[in-house]
Amino acid sequence: MATLSLHNLVKAYGKTEVLHGINLDVADGEFVVFVGPSGCGKSTTLRMIAGLEDVSGGEVRIGGAVVNHLEPKDRNIAMVFQNYAIYPHMSVRKNIGFGLRTAKMPKADKEKRIEEVAAILSMTEYLDRKPAQLSGGQRQRVAIGRAMVRDPAVFLFDEPLSNLDAQLRTQMRLEIKKLHQRVGTTIIFVTHDQVEAMTMADRIVIMKDGHIQQVGTPAEVFHQPANAFVAQFIGAPSMNMLQGRITADGIEVAGRVIARKTPGAVGSAVTVGIRPDDLRVTPDAGSFAGRVSVLEPLGAETLAYVDIGGQEVVARADGRTPPPLRAQVHLTVDPANLHLFDAEGVAIR
Amino acid sequence: MKRYRNLSIRQKQVVWAWGFLALPILFYVVIRFYPTFNAIVLSFQSWNLLGPREWVGLENYVKLWHDPVFWKVFRNTFVYLILGTPISLVLSFVIAYQLDKTRLLHGTLRALYFLPFLTSTVAMAWVWRWFYQPVPIGLFNNFLASLGFAQVNFLNSTSNALPSILIPAIWAGLGFQIIIFMAGLRAIPTSYYEAARIDGVSGWTILWEITLPLLKPTIVFLVVFSSIGFLRIFDQVFNMTTNNPGGPLDSTKPLVLMIYQTAFSSFDMGYAAAQTVVLFAILLTVSLVQLRILREKP
Repeated sequence: MATLSLHNLVKAYGKTEVLHGINLDVADGEFVVFVGPSGCGKSTTLRMIAGLEDVSGGEVRIGGAVVNHLEPKDRNIAMVFQNYAIYPHMSVRKNIGFGLRTAKMPKADKEKRIEEVAAILSMTEYLDRKPAQLSGGQRQRVAIGRAMVRDPAVFLFDEPLSNLDAQLRTQMRLEIKKLHQRVGTTIIFVTHDQVEAMTMADRIVIMKDGHIQQVGTPAEVFHQPANAFVAQFIGAPSMNMLQGRITADGIEVAGRVIARKTPGAVGSAVTVGIRPDDLRVTPDAGSFAGRVSVLEPLGAETLAYVDIGGQEVVARADGRTPPPLRAQVHLTVDPANLHLFDAEGVAIR
Repeated sequence: MKRYRNLSIRQKQVVWAWGFLALPILFYVVIRFYPTFNAIVLSFQSWNLLGPREWVGLENYVKLWHDPVFWKVFRNTFVYLILGTPISLVLSFVIAYQLDKTRLLHGTLRALYFLPFLTSTVAMAWVWRWFYQPVPIGLFNNFLASLGFAQVNFLNSTSNALPSILIPAIWAGLGFQIIIFMAGLRAIPTSYYEAARIDGVSGWTILWEITLPLLKPTIVFLVVFSSIGFLRIFDQVFNMTTNNPGGPLDSTKPLVLMIYQTAFSSFDMGYAAAQTVVLFAILLTVSLVQLRILREKP
């Protein structure tokens, strides 16, 4: 087990810089998830930690030591790949044991270690099968097993769940989280799925265009997003973003004052973010009035798309008594739940 | 037409499939299966191409069994196979493996290796034949002489001639094998290598335990393909030894050349047919054995 820290980490391919100075400290035993849209640099960062990509600038430290110039094998890390990277011609036993090939321990100990890992992953009965005879979830477990068998200081996961179907993904998500609680090793997990990030992480690192947008616990990034990007990226459905203006009376959106506070100069523009959960459909007077344009029933709740003064917002309505389609409805929001962003998209606190 | 319209979709597909297949099947029957069958029949007959065909039973095969030239040729053919296939495969794999890692001039190098494959065998054989000539004509001997070494009798020696012919034959096939190997190497996901790098296994282990096992389908294909090529070697030998094809003293003569001479110099068609049947049997056996050995369950 070890800490991990990135200091001004830069990656450039020729003259194109793709990572622009990443700073991050990961505590020992922490589960950190890197999340962001494709091309944001999250996988590149992970591969630099692994030593599969050269570091163009800055430092990667594992357990306090700079590892920039160490070979992957000398960094005491293990990685699980998106396509699992388990060898089709080797049995599960050989695949898991592959990570122990260079370990200086007696053969009997290696066998014991493989059996232990297989037991933790409930793969004991499959040890002599070939990967082709396994399901997607089982292959995933073999890949995790191969990483675990070496007892590394840091586990690196590169979008390991994206090849699984939705149901299996939820199950494996839970298994990885349980595994972390059990073995307590530091984990860096890369995903583009914000639900995975929210459900698994101790801390989430949200990236975009080679920059870290925000680092925080799932609750922090959800309730106090640092900027409009984070606000919209985290949470499903996405946060509603409404164009408003600061007037002497308060914040005005779609012709109505929805909060009696003036967090900036009177007359300046402000983006008001409201989570669909915080926007309730009410039959009588509320903050906004509009017409229901689309309904998306989800069972327990129904998402209502409401057109308010030319801007479409999503609100959560009760699943049993949703408003009728094309009905004129009112939407209320507690002013305390508003997220305000300035013209650059930075949160106004 | 009405009958066609009443067919189910499946039946219509069958009709179309057979419609398209009819032509190649007809072609194969006329061009391949009939002559093959005819050759087998002919191997039990005596025929000089013009006169009547006479049944002679197993006489052609008995003659072949007692023909010392046949055994010499049989041995030569297998020397071409046993030396040619492994050498060309190892060479082409090593080149492909290194070329796969090369970024600089990658395309140019690949093209250079592929070039001999595009060249006419006859032209190539004659150029190599020139290389092998004695001083002052031959390139190799001129070079040796300039360094003060004794001349080497490449094509006129019974021991050197076969290897001398084998070298250009291997070289000619290399380009194709390299391309196939490179395609095989490219098909192996890079994450396999990255995972191995993280696990810290040696390059040697990666080669033997990851690369080669995963290349097995490619290797099977190339072994069979290249073996058939060496068992049927003809043009290189014929063109490099035109004064005395297969010489000196039959030391380079492969089975196909013997068949050619029996058929079109001696006009002993029945005997040639018997040799052809033997060649066919050898090709079939070697290919099947190789497929069997190399195709074992991964």
